[in-house]
Amino acid sequence: MKELFEKRALLITGKGGVGRTTATAALAMAAARSGKRVLIAEMGEPEEDLAALGRLFGRKTLSADPVPLARNIDGVMLWSRKGHERFISVVLPIAALVRAALRSSALRRMLDAAPSLNELGVFYHMLTLARAESPSGGPAWDLIIIDLPATGHALGLATLPDRVLQILPNGPIARAIHEGKDVFFDPEDSAMLVVTLPETLPVTECLELLEGLRETDMPIGGVIVNKVVGDEFTEAERDVLDPLVNDHDLFGATRFLGIGMVERSLRHLRESTGTPIWRLPELSTEGPGLIHGLSDAVLASSNDSGDVE
Amino acid sequence: MSDDTTAPAHTPPSAADQPIAELILHRKILVVCGAGGVGKTTTSTALALAAARKGRRVLALTVDPSRRLAQTLGVDRNLDTPVSISPERLAEAGIEPPGSLDAWMLDPKLVADRVVHKLAKDPEQIERLMNNRIYKGLSRMVAGMQEYMAMEALHEFHLEGKYDLVVLDTPPSRNALAFLEGPQRMANFLDGRIFQLFVPAGEGGGGFFRRTAGAVIDRVNSMVFGEESYRDIQEFFQSFSGILTTLNKNAGSMIELLGNPDDVGFLLVTSPTDASVSDAHFFRDRTREMGLPFAGFVLNRSQALAGDRTFPATELLGPEPTAVARSALKKLQVLAEVERSEMERDIHLLATLAEESGDSGFALATPTVPGGANDMPSLIHISERLYHAAPYQV
Repeated sequence: MKELFEKRALLITGKGGVGRTTATAALAMAAARSGKRVLIAEMGEPEEDLAALGRLFGRKTLSADPVPLARNIDGVMLWSRKGHERFISVVLPIAALVRAALRSSALRRMLDAAPSLNELGVFYHMLTLARAESPSGGPAWDLIIIDLPATGHALGLATLPDRVLQILPNGPIARAIHEGKDVFFDPEDSAMLVVTLPETLPVTECLELLEGLRETDMPIGGVIVNKVVGDEFTEAERDVLDPLVNDHDLFGATRFLGIGMVERSLRHLRESTGTPIWRLPELSTEGPGLIHGLSDAVLASSNDSGDVE
Repeated sequence: MSDDTTAPAHTPPSAADQPIAELILHRKILVVCGAGGVGKTTTSTALALAAARKGRRVLALTVDPSRRLAQTLGVDRNLDTPVSISPERLAEAGIEPPGSLDAWMLDPKLVADRVVHKLAKDPEQIERLMNNRIYKGLSRMVAGMQEYMAMEALHEFHLEGKYDLVVLDTPPSRNALAFLEGPQRMANFLDGRIFQLFVPAGEGGGGFFRRTAGAVIDRVNSMVFGEESYRDIQEFFQSFSGILTTLNKNAGSMIELLGNPDDVGFLLVTSPTDASVSDAHFFRDRTREMGLPFAGFVLNRSQALAGDRTFPATELLGPEPTAVARSALKKLQVLAEVERSEMERDIHLLATLAEESGDSGFALATPTVPGGANDMPSLIHISERLYHAAPYQV
């Protein structure tokens, strides 16, 4: 998966429960261990207790300004209001006007509530971070990895720039959007990765999402199949267990049957999409140990889609 | 599965024993909330199905159905009105008159267009509004529009009186609560003060101070949006002011309607993760703060009920098992250990949720459906399970 670390931005998506946030953290850890300066980002309100990504690095919350989480890894909460503030202060030439605008409760309410202005704020916040420079010049981070909230949001984000350009074809917002597209929609610099599980339904949903994304300009990097359990059962052992789990209501049966489905799901995925596919194993550890273990897997992982290698 | 498809006993269920049954038989609106990926759409479809099977006229409103689920119901996506499930499928689902089940996959643009058609004064106005560039762009946006449009659709169908029960599967979101903020956000957005921002300076009338303030806002807006776009936005707000005012009133009456505990219930679907307890706590708090009737928690994909399973003991292999059989069982036992500890975790989680739900709410568990709810029999299976599900007793 190391080839992904040459990008500027990775956008991680997938249905809830597939381990998107864990995958984000593992990718970040692996990139950091390869010497990249990484920024990881999730969306939400700063300082609220729902910072799932922050939690994996032992922090309850994240703020709208990047903070160090681990060696070579900073973390940030993408926040629409931060984006709005940055945008307004860039667009308005006079500081007093900026302050007045930000104090205006009507404008505040409008920015918070108007459809898509929220998302635009997040988009602009992303852009300011991608543009940020380090004191010694050059980008502040080599790689920005963004944990997108849910499938719907991935499509929403992928279509947002063009929708907004339709409404506002000219002016400062349009210019910012074009600039953002240059970063996040350029296949050289950016890739969206879809995380899924080696099970029937998640694979189907992943394929549906890929199909939707193909109708947008979003560059698709590939699929990460998470929690792949190694099949330790021999054919002969399966023949012994199959009747047992059918005739009795046994602990362990659900997992046993699930393991049997892994290869079939992976094959279905391979046959239905031409994008790269990477596997991450299911590990029994939790917290920092899990992230470290998975980052080992990321560093060792190679494309499993069949047409490469 | 045959025992699940037979009709239940005729004793009326009590809220204490079968809280879901009480909800789907007596309420008019069920709002099903939950973070993405917890099985919210399946749960709300199963609830709608259960109610229809008990003779109610039900509408299932959903935003983001999986293709398979839509196929199971025999409903296409992107239709401009709710469709009735075909008689064959109704029969297959065990729904008999007066019970009926309609479904609608919400498309924000279609809802918005309906609103324009309904509220515009004449065909000429419809034409003008539909061709407004800002409107065209806004109504096609997914991001941020789903909550508004789900609310508007709920309002419309509730008023229509065609349905005894509307089950709303709320739009997917990062946290389970985003939808709760919907009505208030909508009211905020449609607030008159926001219109004022976009009324050209001078036209709003008022004294010197207001005119001056207006001029400043005017300048800010044209710098933020650009001259040309700002003019478009002003035009949008002017042409739509009548419609937006009506929508604002609707949002207001919706907030009132959703607060009625006799008619409405808010359910949180969650799955066994670290976040579920904090989500539940937050949901309970927010519904209370907002005066919305909290109904209960559904802990989905849970193994809490799996206590009747047995541990795969060596005796299963019979006398003198082969080496292969012994090694197979050993491997199965490792998996069994994992599942048993997951069960313990889930029971503990359910108990915490039950405590969180308070006196008037409930917490109950539903199991994982292997392979997902992709066909009618498994959907019926889930709906029967929900209908009969007993709450966790603290």
